[in-house]
Amino acid sequence: MSSYRVAGKGRVDTGKPVDFTFDGKTYQGGVGDTVASALLAHGEHLMGRSFKYHRPRGAVAAGSEEPNALIGTRRGPGRFEPNTRATMQEIWPGLETQSQNKFPSLKFDVGAVNDAAYMMFSAGFYYKTFMWPRSFWDKVYEPFIRQAAGLGVSPTEEDPDHYASRYLHCDVLIVGTGPAGLAAAKVAAQDGLKVVIVDEHSEAGGTLLSEPQAKIDGTPAWDWLSATLAELKATGVKVMTRTTAIGYYHQNFVGLCERVTDHLSALPDDTPRERMWRVRAKRVILAQGALEKPLVFHGNDRPGVMLAGSAQTYLNRFGVLVGKSPAVITSHDSAWFAAFDLADSGAKVQVIADTRAEVDADLIAGAKSRGIPVKLSHTVTATSGRLRVKSVRLNPVDGGSVGAGSNVTCDALLMSGGWTPSLHLFSHTKGSLTWDTDLTTFLPNETPEDCIIAGASRGLWGIEAALKDGVTAGEQTLDALDRAASGTHSYAVENDRAGTGVTHKELLTDKSPGKAKAFVDYQNDVTAKDLRLAVREGMRSIEHVKRYTTNGMATDQGKMSNINGLNIAADALGKPQPKVGLTTFRPPYTPTTFGAFAGYHRGEHFEVTRKTQIDGWARENGAVFEPVGQWSRAWYFPKPGEDMETAVRRECVTTRNSVGIFDASTLGKIEVKGPDAVEFMNRMYTNPWTKLGIGRCRYGLLLGDDGFIRDDGVIGRFGQDLFHVTTTTGGAARVLNMMEDYLQTEWPDLNVWLTSTTENWSTIALNGPNAARLLAPLVEGIDINDEDFQHMSCAEVTVAGMPARLFRLSFTGEIGFEINVPAPMGRQLWEALWAAGQAYDITAYGTETMHVLRAEKGYIIVGQDTDGTVTPQDCGMGWAIGKAKPDFVGKRGLMRPDLVAKGRKHLVGLLTEDDSKLEEGAQIVFDPNQPKPMTMVGHVTSSYQSDAVGQPIALALVAGGHDKMGETVYIPMPDRTIKAKITSTVFLDPENTRLKIAKES
Amino acid sequence: MLHPVSQHQPGVLVASVAAQVSLCAPVARLSLRAKGDVTPLTGAFGVSLPSGIGTCAETDRLSAVRLGPDEWLMKAEVDDLPAILSAGERLYDTLPHSLVDVSGREVTLELSGPKVLDLLTLGMARDPEMIPVGDARRLNFDGVTVLLWRKAEDRFEMDIWHSFAPHILSLLKTGVAELAAEV
Repeated sequence: MSSYRVAGKGRVDTGKPVDFTFDGKTYQGGVGDTVASALLAHGEHLMGRSFKYHRPRGAVAAGSEEPNALIGTRRGPGRFEPNTRATMQEIWPGLETQSQNKFPSLKFDVGAVNDAAYMMFSAGFYYKTFMWPRSFWDKVYEPFIRQAAGLGVSPTEEDPDHYASRYLHCDVLIVGTGPAGLAAAKVAAQDGLKVVIVDEHSEAGGTLLSEPQAKIDGTPAWDWLSATLAELKATGVKVMTRTTAIGYYHQNFVGLCERVTDHLSALPDDTPRERMWRVRAKRVILAQGALEKPLVFHGNDRPGVMLAGSAQTYLNRFGVLVGKSPAVITSHDSAWFAAFDLADSGAKVQVIADTRAEVDADLIAGAKSRGIPVKLSHTVTATSGRLRVKSVRLNPVDGGSVGAGSNVTCDALLMSGGWTPSLHLFSHTKGSLTWDTDLTTFLPNETPEDCIIAGASRGLWGIEAALKDGVTAGEQTLDALDRAASGTHSYAVENDRAGTGVTHKELLTDKSPGKAKAFVDYQNDVTAKDLRLAVREGMRSIEHVKRYTTNGMATDQGKMSNINGLNIAADALGKPQPKVGLTTFRPPYTPTTFGAFAGYHRGEHFEVTRKTQIDGWARENGAVFEPVGQWSRAWYFPKPGEDMETAVRRECVTTRNSVGIFDASTLGKIEVKGPDAVEFMNRMYTNPWTKLGIGRCRYGLLLGDDGFIRDDGVIGRFGQDLFHVTTTTGGAARVLNMMEDYLQTEWPDLNVWLTSTTENWSTIALNGPNAARLLAPLVEGIDINDEDFQHMSCAEVTVAGMPARLFRLSFTGEIGFEINVPAPMGRQLWEALWAAGQAYDITAYGTETMHVLRAEKGYIIVGQDTDGTVTPQDCGMGWAIGKAKPDFVGKRGLMRPDLVAKGRKHLVGLLTEDDSKLEEGAQIVFDPNQPKPMTMVGHVTSSYQSDAVGQPIALALVAGGHDKMGETVYIPMPDRTIKAKITSTVFLDPENTRLKIAKES
Repeated sequence: MLHPVSQHQPGVLVASVAAQVSLCAPVARLSLRAKGDVTPLTGAFGVSLPSGIGTCAETDRLSAVRLGPDEWLMKAEVDDLPAILSAGERLYDTLPHSLVDVSGREVTLELSGPKVLDLLTLGMARDPEMIPVGDARRLNFDGVTVLLWRKAEDRFEMDIWHSFAPHILSLLKTGVAELAAEV
């Protein structure tokens, strides 16, 4: 057995040894040990180095509030985590752990030179030291700070674990499994009520785990605990351990992070490392207990200086003596009991020093009977020992003056400055706090949530008081749920240790306070002196003091430092604490992994990726994809050896020379149906629809009420009351929502309804001089020629045996069709067309070729050539406006003075003088010789190589462009200035001769 | 392998001791929109259109759910589709409405098994236990709008638009295995 392990004490199963390593050295603990308890069992207090001064540090606590003992843990490749609290990490065979912030080793660290130079590193030293010279910031100061700062080392490998999340609905959620939480759960556990109780530790029990001496209704605490847990589980209460309530959000929504596998030696299949529970509880009971306060004195951070309550936990829960000859310094009764427990387990307690002049006679008697020297009215002024405390200097205090010090040898120093109620989650609810002068602490007041706070977290000390308060909380909760409590619950506790104490700012000293390293925030190395300096330098609010000193800003969120920091700052300001204020508690309660927040959403499942029915064919045929909104779309189809440019040029040429096939399934589609369908269309789109014949289609332009272009698409009329609307891919949901909005709020009188049919259809576009030739033999129901099915027609037909809505339209300037078949038939149709197209050397083309072909014809892409500030007239599409219509969405907007003013930016074509391809987004000027900054008059919106035109083409928005045809503009680039000529946006076939289907001879 | 879900054979896609996910056979799906007194449509479709939002009505060949004040969704035997469409057409002049065939729009997954309620908690913020057997809800599941029918205590049907189905199925597969590992 390790030398500090006490036989017969604790809940660790030393019969089941567990080997793990710390900084490469193997240690043995038992099942139930944490890294901290197992190292302490071997007498190892030194577990890390501090963040700023690299001072040697050991565990000061035994729970999640631990600021010092932060370690890296490793479980094979990829599974490395920095900043894990050694006090929470359970050991398992093979666990590798390492200390942090040290170089070259934990026991000898070069960075500790900072400690010697501590006068330089006082509060605000970054702001003062690194101000000058300014030029040093980027090259010297910031890299230095970044290298020196930082807590632990970021993982560099991809995390192979997976993470999970679930929603959980319950009637009652109880946070904390101490006496208050358990008593509340026993009351609330009723048939038909779903009760959940959670605790961050590996075992339920809270303070009961550290106080086995108590007897509850005559039953030893641990027997009562196991019986109670069994009873709760039997009544259906969900008891969750290793589960931290990280945040309390609106309407009783509480986030829980469950650590599922971090304590296991072998990772089970299909099991996440962590699971985030999103709980919606009708009622919440917060029973998080209280956290012990350190005392603030010179050298209070030395390894071996520890909270007395934590020493008691290490002994009673883990069976570990944190020292064989400990000394105690306290301002609260509770540390006396810790000293007694250690003494009763064989430690030779060197002294109990209490800052108070008087303490309870029973305590004095208890010390006397154990032979422990007692020193009342004492302060501690120093400790010694490099890597472990060796002695403590105690001085008597008389009427505020500090007498001569004497050294007491010890191998651990237990301290207690009293207890602070844990108000973190309560504060997340925007609960208000009140200052209790007697307890020198904030207590919970009112919360807007359906929540009760019970036990030590509202300032009640002792197991009996907590149990009784838990009963009350349970009864109030049942009452709020309109349930009656069954039976009465009452508790009597023997050997209870309800105590009292006083609160201090930093302890009195006979040494220079200006040189004292009396730590308030261990993790950020903030001392009492720093806080007083902040006040001297003008900080008045605790929020400013916090930011200036970084007190409470570390990963422990000030669990130990906030209240001591407040007391010292208030003293320095000469104001009562509530006037100085308390900093805000923010979620998460403890550091939480990104994995737990991401849950299932990583890798392939990161975000919804929508694919069409033809996606599989595209993949099998080597397509490269691009994301378009949520959709993954085929971008281009390279043949072996082709790069993007070559592939796109081939796809363009083949389509213009013969035929190309394109998956247009992602286009939004809306079925507009009802007696008022045509009236609705007239009001919604700029174009007139009344005279559009059945079986005909028309390009529709949709504006916002501001008059700017929002969306476009070709719309087919399939009946007197039936329109098949298409929208842009990205605009589908937005357009449907906009239309529904108008229908429901502006025009509820219209009898017309909208149905999203985007996903009902697979849509395949055929374009090219051979498109009609390819398609005609496959179509039943209509003849494909210019007489029976002219350009801009639509019909319900059969294509390759499949029911189809066939459109004749063109987004390329070639003869074009869009064939809609029920979505699941999409691939079958594609393959039928592909097979028939082999005779015509058909090419599949992607979105890039689609963009090139439409740009050659000057067809706009909403969102690329428009940016939400472009009107139809700006695009030269005044023709799309039904001028005779009484109204449409955007009509009023279009009349605004700014929208009819001269000199607006117009969409024009650009051809470069040197045949270079412009960069999309490049800025345009009229005079390249003007002084900088030049007046920019527009930008390039689209730019492509074009074999059909014979030179690169571009579309651009240029101020007054429509009145500057043929004029030259300039595009300044980093290496040169490019000259370009303003042209029409239509680069190819302005007479649209290519749309005509030649008569077959 | 998850895409497109509609190309799988109907039947079990993934199963464990905890839960199973199956692809249902294709059905006819119709979106019905109408205002006012819709009783004439009851005669036409042979089912009394449910009145409470989220409630369903069912015959042996057709089930209908009311999704909104003027919105119903019907699922029927594929063979019955033309008859339903023409029944609607006959009533159109007296009771204008929109009846749209959306049979091609979505797939239905059947979720069942002893842990099916837990499986649903992976993706939905609402409490699946609060959906009465026989009701349906349009809701958000892992970021996707779906229609969830509770067919029995431990059996649900989820209607999902095609392009979203692989995303949802991948989460369900993870969940079916994860829940089995807890058993």
